[in-house]
Amino acid sequence: MSSAREYLQVFVTAPYLELHTGPGRGYPVFSVVPRDESVDVLFRRTDWFKVRTERGVEGWASQQDMQRVVLANGAPFTFPLGDRAGYTSHRWEMGMFAGDYGGATLVSGYSAFYFNSQLAAELSLGEFLGKFSNGTVGDLGLTHIIAPEWRLTPFLMIGTGFVHLTPKATLVQPAQRTEQTAYVGGGVRYYLTRRFFIRAEYKAHEVFTKRNANEQVDEWKLGFAFFF
Amino acid sequence: METGFRLLLLTVAFLSLQGCVVRNWIHHRAEVRAERQAAKEDAARAEQDDTDAAPPRVVDPDVERRKINVPKIKSSNVEIGLDYGALSVEDFGTNQVYGITAAYHITEDFFFQGEYGRSKAGRTSFETLAGNIQLLTPDERHFTYYNLSLGYNFLPGEAFLGRGIAMPSAFYWLGGIGSTKFAGDERFTVNFGAGYRVLPSDWIAVHITVQDRVFKSDLLGVSKLTNNIEARIGTTIYF
Repeated sequence: MSSAREYLQVFVTAPYLELHTGPGRGYPVFSVVPRDESVDVLFRRTDWFKVRTERGVEGWASQQDMQRVVLANGAPFTFPLGDRAGYTSHRWEMGMFAGDYGGATLVSGYSAFYFNSQLAAELSLGEFLGKFSNGTVGDLGLTHIIAPEWRLTPFLMIGTGFVHLTPKATLVQPAQRTEQTAYVGGGVRYYLTRRFFIRAEYKAHEVFTKRNANEQVDEWKLGFAFFF
Repeated sequence: METGFRLLLLTVAFLSLQGCVVRNWIHHRAEVRAERQAAKEDAARAEQDDTDAAPPRVVDPDVERRKINVPKIKSSNVEIGLDYGALSVEDFGTNQVYGITAAYHITEDFFFQGEYGRSKAGRTSFETLAGNIQLLTPDERHFTYYNLSLGYNFLPGEAFLGRGIAMPSAFYWLGGIGSTKFAGDERFTVNFGAGYRVLPSDWIAVHITVQDRVFKSDLLGVSKLTNNIEARIGTTIYF
């Protein structure tokens, strides 16, 4: 075998390492790697690692089993686990919501990037479908998690965005319009299991119109999200 | 008088004795405290000495520890693909549909999926029978939807092709929310369905999906829930 390896080589310390045919506990075990033999780690899909043995057999090893392999220098093989510690501190999260935007039904999704365990930049896009108008909303802002180590924790939000309105009209045809908005809000998130959590939030939007008075719109939503 | 004087002296003597006892007792407490403190410090020092003391060396180790650069392990959780199928728009016949799907696999069981599709509705039976009447303009017949769904894999297994090829496969449930644009209006849509996925290689999957897209419509006079059933076949690539 060549000295320059493309993949990470890890050594089995448990009595054996089970290899499954697919990335899931339901897929059967078709091969085992005995203690002290090595495998190359090819890639990861969810909580499973595709590995190749010294004999060239390729299979899937579970995250739990891979916690018991070591590197060539004897150091443990570490990788991010999708657990409670990951919920406290992670880089990315994504989620989807259903809710209410100023009386209209709202469907939205969001993505957030965490600078540290408390502060995140968040982008959300949504569509609302109402009796009198439909529209699209987009927000970009900062989110502050008050106590990331708590299972149920409140958070605060502030940011800016836009709203694009398409009025539904039968008699006159009012123009579509796009307005800039700003928002403040807050909510709670609750860790469920693995990589999942529930999020409920409220945003108070100030819509900067071209008319004399600005508009205020309330947004309530509930959804589920995951981190990675 | 004398008795009173004696009483006073006795009282003073008694009190001073008491004072001595209290003073002695305080002094004694202080001594005990100091002793305890000294014992604690000794114990701490002894412990430190223990850890500092090097074990007797037989041979000086002269082995350099291997340094290992752990390469970043590629994650392959995203799946993007195209699909084609048939969509039955309630009251408007069955027509072909083209779509794009993107999925993110969160755990071995759950995935998050976004779907976008386009189709064109046909004619209602009323339009066909009545001859020249058109309920919708050609532009309004475009049926466009998008959905955000959560998927759950179940019945994992293997599909066998002949004697030598085995491919991992799974059934999955889908359910989610989204929006449908049809007949010049957009409507909140709920979808649910099921699918089957088989992976000829680690990077490619073939899907067969059946989904019902339900939304409220008052297009034909009465407001009702319409069921729009769709069957698709698609290919996705994992990234």
